[in-house]
Amino acid sequence: MDVAISPSKTVPTRLGAARVGIGGPVGSGKTALVERLIPALAERGVSLAVVTNDLVTAEDAERIRRSGLIDPARVVAVEAGACPHTVIREDPTLNIAAADDLEAAFPDLDLILIESGGDNLASTFSLDLVDWWMFVIDVAGGDDIPRKKGPGVIRCDLLVVNKIDLAPHVGVDLERMTREADAVRSGRPIALTVCRDGDGIDAVIDHICRDVLLR
Amino acid sequence: MTDPAALLLALRHADGTFPSGGFAFSQGLEARAALADDFGPFDLAAFLADQVLRRWAGADRVALVRAHRAAADLDRVATVDAEVEASTASEPLRAGSRRNGLAFLTAHRRLGTPGAEAYHRRIREGMAPGHVAVVQGLLWARLGLDETTASAMGGHVAVIGPATAAIRLGLVGAIEAQTAIATVTADLAAVCRRPIADGQPFSAFLPVVEIACARHATGDLRLFSN
Repeated sequence: MDVAISPSKTVPTRLGAARVGIGGPVGSGKTALVERLIPALAERGVSLAVVTNDLVTAEDAERIRRSGLIDPARVVAVEAGACPHTVIREDPTLNIAAADDLEAAFPDLDLILIESGGDNLASTFSLDLVDWWMFVIDVAGGDDIPRKKGPGVIRCDLLVVNKIDLAPHVGVDLERMTREADAVRSGRPIALTVCRDGDGIDAVIDHICRDVLLR
Repeated sequence: MTDPAALLLALRHADGTFPSGGFAFSQGLEARAALADDFGPFDLAAFLADQVLRRWAGADRVALVRAHRAAADLDRVATVDAEVEASTASEPLRAGSRRNGLAFLTAHRRLGTPGAEAYHRRIREGMAPGHVAVVQGLLWARLGLDETTASAMGGHVAVIGPATAAIRLGLVGAIEAQTAIATVTADLAAVCRRPIADGQPFSAFLPVVEIACARHATGDLRLFSN
């Protein structure tokens, strides 16, 4: 058997639309963030597509398709095989293939948002799949989330703290939560949002445009 | 197999950590388990034996071996691929095999495996469906893995995929799953020893699983693609 045991040591550079991951726990507001990002990015002239990784149903994909915000053909659902972190980290090939398909179908694409299924604080994106990623937490999940130093909170390129309007109602000291998040992230960016109302979305868009799209 | 280099190559490419997309497909296991009220309690060992003897032996393995033999000629590989497309009656299994094949090919494109980019182009142009058994045969041949080894690798992947799904669904424990896998290993080895004629047609007969898959595909709740 003449086996090829010394293949190329480098993975070829990928050309095409930028790929941005959105991870975070169940109910933190990932889909709501996507719904806010779609029109805001369109307003800035960004050609967009979305991949969702629903855990059990295609509900997130359907919600975005039916929103009227985007051509439904630009929204693709990828099943997570009972394991939301596998499809974005250990084996992202289904998501990569879905993003490749979108690029082939829409050659003008600038950006593909890849929304993870709801997961835990250890959830992280493979850089095989995305160029840059956000992690969404919400204040109602508890102000101790940053202190728990989950890899998702620490390693993401942008930490989005959502539902900040609920802080006084759930006994959360937002200032302390933000300070602690800042400390565990060594000063890397944090965005405070109320995705339901659109508050703070511009700051998220600014990060995407500056850090990913280089605009 | 005595060459450690060949053994290590085979282990790497058939390992569950190789990114192939396979984790998202239960090959009808989730669907079959959901029909326990109609068809009796789910039994992983029996399910795996059916997968090996009634499907993989006569269909997927034959496709893999024929693609392996044709690997130097992508037109011939595409012919085998088209036969798989035409002979797989179950739409969820057929679509799952294509998606799994594309994901598997995606990893190999990035790794620079010979033939991966060219065959992907055919799929993109609608000239080949890209079924997983076919791209396994093509790419494992191009990596230098011999026919017998590639066949055993395909059988191993066909068994550990559903077994892992059963664990994730909570149907069996991880250790119990190993017991079930062990019960089909002899069957798998025996199947791998069977000769395959050039141009051998495909055959599979798993009606309960196919009916279950059809129901599963239209269901609201499911963890696996098929």
